[in-house]
Amino acid sequence: MRALVVLTHPREQSFTRAACDAAVSGLTRAGHEVTVLDLYAMGFEPAMTNAEIVAYHSDEPILDPLVAQSAAALQAAQILVFVYPTWWSGLPAMLKGWLEKTLVPGVGFVFNNNHRVRPGLTQVRHIVGISTYGSPRTYVKAINDNGRRTLMRALRLQTGLRLRSMWLGLYAIDTSTPEQRANFLAKIESRMASL
Amino acid sequence: MKTLVIFCHPSANSFAAAVLDTSVAALHAAGHEVRVTDLYAEGFDPVFSAHDHEHHLDDPSTKPDIAHHAANLRWCESLVLVYPSWWAGQPAMLKGWIDRVWVNGVAWELPTDGNRLRPLLRNIRRLHVVTTHGSSKWINALEGEGGKRTALRSLRVLCSPRCRTSWIALYNIDRSTLEQRNQFLRRVTARLSK
Repeated sequence: MRALVVLTHPREQSFTRAACDAAVSGLTRAGHEVTVLDLYAMGFEPAMTNAEIVAYHSDEPILDPLVAQSAAALQAAQILVFVYPTWWSGLPAMLKGWLEKTLVPGVGFVFNNNHRVRPGLTQVRHIVGISTYGSPRTYVKAINDNGRRTLMRALRLQTGLRLRSMWLGLYAIDTSTPEQRANFLAKIESRMASL
Repeated sequence: MKTLVIFCHPSANSFAAAVLDTSVAALHAAGHEVRVTDLYAEGFDPVFSAHDHEHHLDDPSTKPDIAHHAANLRWCESLVLVYPSWWAGQPAMLKGWIDRVWVNGVAWELPTDGNRLRPLLRNIRRLHVVTTHGSSKWINALEGEGGKRTALRSLRVLCSPRCRTSWIALYNIDRSTLEQRNQFLRRVTARLSK
């Protein structure tokens, strides 16, 4: 299958990047064809402009070439993998803006003959979320896990419900031990290799 | 009450701008002292940068470009967020304001031995969210209302322990009538005048 890995982290050296490398290595081992979009390295601009909001309601909603590249990669992928640090219990603004700008009408969803919204990414078979959290898991569960909700629920409305989803989280990363982090990377690789 | 209004929409001709005008008029009429931050108009950069990340646990003086945002947060007793909900949550521009401004030394501090943040914005006693959703309430319920949780839970825990919150939302705006939108503006006035 074709896999699209969307990486969001501002620094070249980071644990999130190590997690991304582990995912790519597992997917490659399983024989999947992997494309990585590194949003920070691409220089993606996440804030929707007014021109983009106007275009959103037209027949050609995409203005930015980086968005066009992202939309083509999304439409070709059967496996979607998101790798990012959870900030403020949600997606970093960079990744949130990437969803807002890329999953426009015609890509994320289409209108049927009755003008009802229908999923646009029905070729997707797996959605995987890989994220680190500052907070412990119990706190995340009790207060807010908005990033996971956005990818596992809101995005699912655009892919259809007939797919498998997987969530791999490393919680309380600030007090995690090197062994816990190494185990997390090993788990990512083995889970991706079994997709 | 000292009130900080954060506005997030790129167009002055949008319904969101009408919601902002209505909100500010209601707050003035109720006698509040109001400061408005228009994130798009000031060209706020929502991208949490490698520099921000490197100085994540350092003093806020390492990030001079957010200084006036931090000063406004420390000044206010009431915070009002005005934005359209996209993907059941805050637009990237507003999420970036949270990512970059609600940092160590401004909104929280992290004890050396733990994972739980200590709140620093105890000056904030009211938190209002005024927002619109394209889709219906049940679709947003299905999506998990992440934006509501982010504002009323994740941000609120860093404010005063007795901070009161209100969620003033218009759902299904894509299929709304002019009368429904006007009715929403009247609701905004009534709720923010209290």
